[in-house]
Amino acid sequence: MTTSDQVRILNGNTFVVSDDRGDIEASSTDPTGLFSFDTRFLSRWILTINGQRLTALSTDDLQYFDARFFLVPGTGTVYIDSKQSVIRRRTVGTGFSEELSILNHAEEAIDLTVRIEAASDFADLFEVKDALEKKGTYSTQTEHGKLVLTYQRETFVRATVISTSEACEIDQDGLTFQVHLEPHNSWKTDLNVAISVPDVPDAGQDEAPSVLAWEALQAPSDMALDLQHWLEAAPRLECDWDSLRRSYRRSLIDLAALRFSPITAGGRSLPAAGLPWFMTMFGRDSIFTSLQVLPFTQELAATTLRELALRQGTRVDDFRDEDPGRILHEMRYGEMTAFEERPHSPYYGSADATPLYVVLLDEYERWTGDLALIRELEFEARAALNWIDEYANLQGNGYISYQRRNEQTGLENQCWKDSWDSIAYHDGRLPGFPRATCELQGYAYDAKMRGARLARLAWDDPDYADRLEREAADLKRRFNEDFWVADGEFFALALDVDGSQVDSLTSNNGHLLWSGIVDDDKAEAVVRHLLGERLFSGWGVRTMAAGEGRYNPIGYHVGTVWPFDNSFIAWGLRRYGFKDEAAIVAAGILEAADFFDGRLPEAFGGYPRAMTKYPVQYPTACTPQAWSTGTPLLLLRTMLGLHPVDDNLVVDAALPSSIGRLELLDIPGRWGRVDAFGRGRVDTRWRTDDS
Amino acid sequence: MADVIGDFFRELEEKGHQALLGKVIGTVQFDLTDADGTTDHWLVSVNRGDITVSQQKDLSLSKADCTIRSDKKLFEQLIKGEENAIAATLRGAIICLGNVELLFAIQRIFPGPPSKRQQQGEAMASS
Repeated sequence: MTTSDQVRILNGNTFVVSDDRGDIEASSTDPTGLFSFDTRFLSRWILTINGQRLTALSTDDLQYFDARFFLVPGTGTVYIDSKQSVIRRRTVGTGFSEELSILNHAEEAIDLTVRIEAASDFADLFEVKDALEKKGTYSTQTEHGKLVLTYQRETFVRATVISTSEACEIDQDGLTFQVHLEPHNSWKTDLNVAISVPDVPDAGQDEAPSVLAWEALQAPSDMALDLQHWLEAAPRLECDWDSLRRSYRRSLIDLAALRFSPITAGGRSLPAAGLPWFMTMFGRDSIFTSLQVLPFTQELAATTLRELALRQGTRVDDFRDEDPGRILHEMRYGEMTAFEERPHSPYYGSADATPLYVVLLDEYERWTGDLALIRELEFEARAALNWIDEYANLQGNGYISYQRRNEQTGLENQCWKDSWDSIAYHDGRLPGFPRATCELQGYAYDAKMRGARLARLAWDDPDYADRLEREAADLKRRFNEDFWVADGEFFALALDVDGSQVDSLTSNNGHLLWSGIVDDDKAEAVVRHLLGERLFSGWGVRTMAAGEGRYNPIGYHVGTVWPFDNSFIAWGLRRYGFKDEAAIVAAGILEAADFFDGRLPEAFGGYPRAMTKYPVQYPTACTPQAWSTGTPLLLLRTMLGLHPVDDNLVVDAALPSSIGRLELLDIPGRWGRVDAFGRGRVDTRWRTDDS
Repeated sequence: MADVIGDFFRELEEKGHQALLGKVIGTVQFDLTDADGTTDHWLVSVNRGDITVSQQKDLSLSKADCTIRSDKKLFEQLIKGEENAIAATLRGAIICLGNVELLFAIQRIFPGPPSKRQQQGEAMASS
């Protein structure tokens, strides 16, 4: 979706994608523009001087919320003789502001016609993707020194208001400035592009603004200061591996950019799924990312838990795949969602977010000791646990299964491997629905065990705790019989509609270790597979093992390596005591990060490391992706063996020997702040270089 | 003609407690407007799930934390499960002023639409 010369800046779910000149020239299928609330508010923003486009000398977008474009008039090789420089400095807030400066380097005065063409198609993000026709009407007003672009469909109104600090002529298609510049003089104007959601036609001045308008006002007043505070609050990493320090800092900054503050959160933030196209609340992504970053910041988890609770399903609604107790999959704000042409208001088609919600709630308590929140969310946690048995047991066999009820726009695969061919038998066939993928059963087991702990600790209900533990024990016993592929010694990817095993070998086995559902006497065989040649590429564990019918080293969920997946696999390896193996996985992924300047992609190719020597990036729309951003943080946790036990943080480091010394200072939690130290001792080279 | 809206609020008052609103403290004012332009005002006070309802004539006494405005036709559809409050808010058919969290909270008590699964369940129960 993006090319390397695109420039993207953002604040929450407002973002601007332009070319390297700062121009926006969107077509129905080209996703550039100013976007907010999943709507494109500006699809055309083109600067010309004396009728000519400009050429970029350089672009500076070091901060995620502002960018500077250094330009000269003309295109091609003409600029070499240019006597003028043009600088556009753009900052995203609740729209964007742009400071446009022109410098005359010539010995003589000059007269310039400076023009900005502006237009908006008000496309929904879903329309940008699918190139759909609009159903409403457009209008343009040029009153009071402003250019106002409006789109209306029934009661749905979105508008873009463009204003300037310097006088200009305004017409339907843009703004024109007549600029006279003396020798060695400069001129500048401030352009402001405001998004407007005028859905309160008769509200008085003193009334609070309504839903979207309110949310639009939430930009931090000083984003640079906000970022500085964010970085200062995080634990400090000292180590003699520069690459890891760079990855850590990159992750912290990207995590700051990925913060999203829903309207009901009172300014608090949760992690959105990805930048820029997935800057919204996702149950699965927000929960996994919150889990990854708990040792570093706990506010994201608290906000995730609160906001998902407020939007927890309460009724049976086939269009939204909603059930009582179900945690949402995705929330969207655009026109197609508003008119129910898409189900994202919110959409609930995720089978893992609900058990994972309880897992996060318990893990959050272990780090923070925040019993008040555990008590506040008791109702929702019980509803989530109830969903597992009441609503997700589609086949009546005691396992979570999924099958969408919205057959037009719902999701077929409601697990994290959500592409069409991700769930396949060894021979490559695809099973029918419902599907009971294995990791869902692991999450359900973990949710019941952790729910039982919370019931005793905070809800004063030991009977409920006993019941949950009995159910968990029963689930574990059945699971280890029904999903175990005896001749291969691993867990099947899923059970199909007949209760037969979908018998591919996949990375899901690592998630099972993380959940604790694996019988102790089966763990060693599972670990042998995870670190074996079919699954381990040398950089990480492949989503699907080489040799499976659907295996493809560049297939989205059938052979690529996902950093996020590996971070939870490493956590699973630690849970079962396989410290050295966890260090090997961590080393591979962190070494791969070095090839991406510390910013791990969503996925990279599953080619053997010995074959390519570097990790081959999988082309994806979204970077950074939240759970890739969280990966180095969770890997730091697993390498240091950080484990909260009551009011103490236990440290049990097992670091790759390539790291040498590592210190993580001021780790926040119920113990106040503590430091963790470790020295490299695990030789990870034997695997990563030979495979 | 059946007073669907009046019945809804009276039932809400009679039930007295809504577990789904167990954390909610606040007052929501519904301004519901007829095709002829007359507006009814209903005030719903929630105190940790306990609900009291009153129909307001004198708005100067109202101290709502959140005001929800829509036309009566849409509101009838909401309380029958034929429309969704969040989608309606996104398209400007519902206007919400004040504490938006209360809108998200109180819409939880609206029913869902007729469901395949419910119909399947009823068919199974009757067979």
